[in-house]
Amino acid sequence: MILAIETSCDDTCAAVVDDGGEIRANVISSQGIHDRYGGVVPEIASRHHLELIGDAVDDALNQAQLTLPEVGLVAVTRGPGLVAALLVGVATAKALAAAHELPLAPVDHLHGHIAASFLAGSDFPTPFVSLVASGGHTFLAVVRDRGEGYEVLGETLDDAAGEAFDKGARMLGLGYPGGAALERLARGGDPEAFEFPTAARLRGLDFSFAGLKTALLYRVRDLGEAETERRRADLAAAYQRAIVEALAVRAERALSQTGLNRLAVGGGVAANGALRDRLARLGVELDVPPRELCTDNAAMIASAARYVPAIPYPDYFKLDVYATGERPVPA
Amino acid sequence: MRILGLDTATSATTAAFLDTEAGIEVAARDDPPPGVRPRHTTELIALLVDVLGRAGAEWSDVDRIAIGVGPGTFTGLRIGVATGRALARAHGIAAVGISTLQSLALGASAAAPAGVVLPVLDARRGEVFAAAWSTPSSAGGPWRPLLEPLAVAPERLAELAPGLGENRLAIGDGSLAFRAVLERSGTVIPEDDSELHRVSAINHCRLAGVLSPPDRDGIRPHYLRLPDAELARRASQPT
Ligand SMILES: [Zn+2]
Repeated sequence: MILAIETSCDDTCAAVVDDGGEIRANVISSQGIHDRYGGVVPEIASRHHLELIGDAVDDALNQAQLTLPEVGLVAVTRGPGLVAALLVGVATAKALAAAHELPLAPVDHLHGHIAASFLAGSDFPTPFVSLVASGGHTFLAVVRDRGEGYEVLGETLDDAAGEAFDKGARMLGLGYPGGAALERLARGGDPEAFEFPTAARLRGLDFSFAGLKTALLYRVRDLGEAETERRRADLAAAYQRAIVEALAVRAERALSQTGLNRLAVGGGVAANGALRDRLARLGVELDVPPRELCTDNAAMIASAARYVPAIPYPDYFKLDVYATGERPVPA
Repeated sequence: MRILGLDTATSATTAAFLDTEAGIEVAARDDPPPGVRPRHTTELIALLVDVLGRAGAEWSDVDRIAIGVGPGTFTGLRIGVATGRALARAHGIAAVGISTLQSLALGASAAAPAGVVLPVLDARRGEVFAAAWSTPSSAGGPWRPLLEPLAVAPERLAELAPGLGENRLAIGDGSLAFRAVLERSGTVIPEDDSELHRVSAINHCRLAGVLSPPDRDGIRPHYLRLPDAELARRASQPT
């Protein structure tokens, strides 16, 4: 049995997964406090993690009908993410593990997103191409085995796809975070009504969403308030289509470049219906885990922990975290 | 009572074990050299395991965990509170939050009998975290809080100090950072290298023995300051 903790951004998560990849508990405490700041504030996220982490761990153990000494392995997200937020999870995980002399598995958050496809519900066989798109990350990787040696083929050069959704939603007056609201609005709109850039000139497998955001800003300005209001659904549909195309075109490119015919999708944007439909038309074997396993969660961290070397007690006392964009230092 | 203590509010990482019946006291600490960042996250568990081991105790022998709740650096406080709470949870141990300022005050009380002890921590941004207690005239006598913990400009603290009483002793890294301004108010500050300036978890253990433990998750850092983003949000709102 693996007890996993994830606190890299603004969700406080704890989960129990058994050695066969079956989820016994998957607790996600969404803080729901950052909307009023228009984005995740690290200090506020960290304060909330500390408030919520104890109950999250208790709930996960209770749901799994497990006591801590019965846990065989503690897993925790070590990075990349917000340092102050990660430290709450790592301090908790180290103390829980040390108290019962359990081994500890430090997990790379991005490996975690990929590993959502290794949980029993998917059990997606390698090799495959992985597309992870959320508010925090957007990248394509080739996954040859289940370990942490996945190879990143391309990543976003500016905004993440989920960020592009949220920023677009804000420009259309849908509040923050408005990705889901934008998708709902888009259902009643014509995706062909406007042409938005998909960074098609960007060669290779990297992403860029900054130009798209700017294009929407200009379009809204040019249309004026009344016309923007009247054509909100069309704007949302066209904007969404541009994001979906940018993701799908590069996923397709990655598949043909690697000669693979299996694609796994993760991250919160994987819940987007338009993206799912578009990727289904690629004609490859597709794995899209359930929404609660695509957004940040600890079950995916436990899943990844099954495939990384665990650090035996007491060798993890000095384990440190790493920020977004940093390379991990040896434990 | 066997008490395990920890504090991560200042740049130091400190751990201690106190067995009040057997009279065992073990302490361990890590003080980063100048210019080196605090090492709370990499040192705390090792120091706790070290003091337990030297005391010949196991986790399950611990009756109470004394967790330093600051005020101090936000990230440091969270590492200490998360660690202390998780250890308490893992073995069903009662836990208490201990004011880092009060722990400092206890450590210095013998040096200012029948006077005022003013623990002062550097809060950065030109401020200090401070509090004050009147010290008993004899060991074991009553303490009286004179100034509730607050974040304040050192100049303002120097103005407040004379009103707190005679025979004032200020200690802590904040008293060193603002020695000149505090000494001008007639407050005595020990030499820079005095042990009285350093937070030691052994004093947390001593204080914890006489407190009644709250719910484990009720132990929270004493931040004393709102996050910057919240201050900015409030400032931008019409009043
Ligand atoms: Zn994520």
